[in-house]
Amino acid sequence: MFFKSTLYAGVACLTLAVSLAAGAIEARAEQTIVDAGGREVKITDTSRILSIGGDVTEILYALHVDDQIIAVDSTSQFPGDALSKKENVGYLRALSAEGVLSTNPTLIIAAGDAGPPPVVAVLKSSSIPYIQVPDDKTPEGVAAKIRFIAKVVGREAAGETLAKDVDRDFALLAEQRAKIKSPKRALFVLSVQNGRATIGGANTSADAMLKLAGAENAAAGATGYKPMADEAGVDLVPDAIVTMQGGPSGPPTDGIMTVKALAQSPAIKNRRIIEMNGLYLLGFGPRCARAARELMVALYPELALKRASTAE
Amino acid sequence: MTSEALPLTARRAGTHRLSPAQVIGGLAVLLVVAAIASLSLGPTGITLSSLPRAIGAALGTHTDAAATREQLVLLDIRLPRTLLGMFVGASLAIAGAIMQGLFRNPLADPGLIGVSSGAALAAVATIALGNGIAAPLLRPLGIYALPFAAFFGGIITTMVLVAVAGRHGQLMVGTLLLAGIALGALSGALTGLIAYASDDRELRDLTFWSMGSLGGANWPKVFAVLPFAVLIALMAPWLIRGLNGFLLGESEAFHLGINVERTKRAAIVTTAASVGAAVAMAGIIGFVGIVVPHVVRLLAGPDHRVVLPGGALLGAVLMLVADIVARLIVRPAELPIGIVMAAIGTPVFLHLVMKRGIGGME
Amino acid sequence: MLTAHAATFRINGKTLVSDIDITVPPGKLVVLVGPNGAGKSTLLRLLSGELKATSGSIELDGRALGSFSAAELARRRAVVPQSTALSFPFTVREVVMLGATVPGFTSAPEHVERLASDCIRTVGLLALEHRLFTQLSGGERQRVHIARAMLQLAIAERPDDAPAILLLDEPTASLDLSHQGVVLEEARRQSREGRAVLAILHDLNLAAVFADELVLLSDGRVAARGTPAEVLRDDLLSRAYGCEVRTNITPAAGVPFVLPHAIRNR
Repeated sequence: MFFKSTLYAGVACLTLAVSLAAGAIEARAEQTIVDAGGREVKITDTSRILSIGGDVTEILYALHVDDQIIAVDSTSQFPGDALSKKENVGYLRALSAEGVLSTNPTLIIAAGDAGPPPVVAVLKSSSIPYIQVPDDKTPEGVAAKIRFIAKVVGREAAGETLAKDVDRDFALLAEQRAKIKSPKRALFVLSVQNGRATIGGANTSADAMLKLAGAENAAAGATGYKPMADEAGVDLVPDAIVTMQGGPSGPPTDGIMTVKALAQSPAIKNRRIIEMNGLYLLGFGPRCARAARELMVALYPELALKRASTAE
Repeated sequence: MTSEALPLTARRAGTHRLSPAQVIGGLAVLLVVAAIASLSLGPTGITLSSLPRAIGAALGTHTDAAATREQLVLLDIRLPRTLLGMFVGASLAIAGAIMQGLFRNPLADPGLIGVSSGAALAAVATIALGNGIAAPLLRPLGIYALPFAAFFGGIITTMVLVAVAGRHGQLMVGTLLLAGIALGALSGALTGLIAYASDDRELRDLTFWSMGSLGGANWPKVFAVLPFAVLIALMAPWLIRGLNGFLLGESEAFHLGINVERTKRAAIVTTAASVGAAVAMAGIIGFVGIVVPHVVRLLAGPDHRVVLPGGALLGAVLMLVADIVARLIVRPAELPIGIVMAAIGTPVFLHLVMKRGIGGME
Repeated sequence: MLTAHAATFRINGKTLVSDIDITVPPGKLVVLVGPNGAGKSTLLRLLSGELKATSGSIELDGRALGSFSAAELARRRAVVPQSTALSFPFTVREVVMLGATVPGFTSAPEHVERLASDCIRTVGLLALEHRLFTQLSGGERQRVHIARAMLQLAIAERPDDAPAILLLDEPTASLDLSHQGVVLEEARRQSREGRAVLAILHDLNLAAVFADELVLLSDGRVAARGTPAEVLRDDLLSRAYGCEVRTNITPAAGVPFVLPHAIRNR
């Protein structure tokens, strides 16, 4: 009898221990999140993550969950490992429903821009949890995005640290911005085709970044990314031109030099053309503040400080 | 295509034609094979053997995760995609065959002569203005707003084309092409204007839509094109006789007893319906309209009794094959189908032109 | 029977034909001649129903032409055009088979195929039956159109129908000597079989040989009508063609002449 009760007790303890352990693991991963689209999504397994959006991937890597990522989209260009080591499901706005499903993710974390809408609808109707990430293009938005993604993957502590670093960087940036006595006019050129430039007006990521860097958006009269009219271009007189680093069509500076309307601007005359990586500059990811500071230093060399930012 | 099709160059003694039954029968078989392939192949590796479980999941008898996934892939992704692909391929081919018969020119493809740009313009306007100015007009139509808008865009451009280029019974090729280029340019300009006025999100939607893709296929879209499929299926057989008569010219068609005006109008409506619905659902896809009817003519002669149904079948097959390639070749990503079609279509097209000249025209 | 009463056709302020009275009776080959611009083609198109007379009337078997639908007309009359541009790879046989496109028939396909073969044989093109139409010479193409029109009429024959009408627009325009005869012999044969046949001819000698009745058009009006002997007169022809025309004069000694009535097909 004693033997039996010991046996029972042993089995009971074992069962308890196992279920506690299992419960502990489960409790960490299982949760219900309300995503940026207002949907309630139940997450149970974060071991195979599909990351859609360059900023999303960057944040996941910064949170050190990259070994849980099984596939990314083609805009996930930082860090360089992402595209070379993970499967590529194509452009974020042109996903293939079955293609995404074939990567067998247990969790999809996607930027709000993911598309096309019918494909996103199919993915949301599948049994795979689909989380839409908030997309506020402001310093607070970046921190919120980091905290949100950290919560989704159960890395709140790391997320909090990262977010605080980002907050601190933005605060520093604001201090330096306050020192600017006469703001310079900057113009963001998205692309040049046949001597015509497409520029970033108000309500664009470019506009937000220029403001963060303490510049005045010369194109603020337009809304969105618009082709620049020749005559209007002459009046823009930017002190500096900001653009994304070259793609297959060669150094963007060459293209910008062909835009006649800008030929008389101080930017072209002084050859003040600043090229930066697209994702770095416009992604509103963890390096956002650093990018804004780099831009600021390029615009106002006198503000170059010895103290580097603490962002990763 | 069978090997019989290959030695079809005109010999000194005569030209060999396959019989209508051979062509249509053969193509029907090909279509069944292509459809089965389209349902069986995909990046997830799920095959038709999972169909019973998928249906079970749909009916609620199977609730495990694997069956649900199979249901999603087979019934919610591949099946509507296959159906839509068949419709788009068939209707683009029929539209091409009708345009070529109406204008009596083997170069007439809705893309070359601006009809699909007109349909595209209408679709673009719908995407861009659908939430703004045109909302009260378009919202009640729901999922049908886009294909109907594209339908009307197609009709208006076709009517303008016929009025400008189809005079005096003799159609001047130059007039046709110039009018088509002009209309295409105008549509392009207006599309650009609308794109200018739309915001970034709409703009990006526009760009991808215009590259042609069946990736967004779903059941609502299949239902949306159903009325158009019915319309085309009803009108196309009626058009066969008229288009045959048209082959000798409008005067001769009249002499053969064809009601010329009614035939023109029916041709316009059918073309606009085909192009409108296809363009609305899958963007702009070229080549099908020219290459497919031409191949059928090479095999079985210009009788529209074969060219229309045969073209529809071959167009559907081609679209399914291109779509299979599009979704497997860079898996798990996907190529826009317009690119695959151009890759397949260009060499075939050039081969045809070099071998036979287009339609033996002198 | 096809008749026109005081038919006039005006377009864009120009009067192409005016006040034409003409009858094409069954069993007769009526030939229309005249200089270019006289209105011959316009008159043919009025008679075929393609154009509507501005004033006057055109009647087919006593009924106004405009009251027939295109399909009804096609069952009663066939037209051989001057030329057609063809853009598609038709074979000769396929072009002839287009004659069976006329709506409203339910002839068995084998019957139609047999009739088509007969028509092709009659115009002497059996050997070229499966050749592409675009590879034929102008004259061969013309004969194909005639075969097509013949098929159209052959299918149309029903016991209770009035005899059919055949209209030919310059059928011998690009034909060489032997084929001119073949074509017009066929036209004559059609008229002997009871059909009403009207042909526009350029060549006055051919007209003289084959016409039962000759109508001379000039400036949109009927300048003369009657047998070839009655119409082919110096004064009438000179006035119509605007130059001095003398009939029945042999050339100077030693200069040969070749006339259609002396040509026989082997």
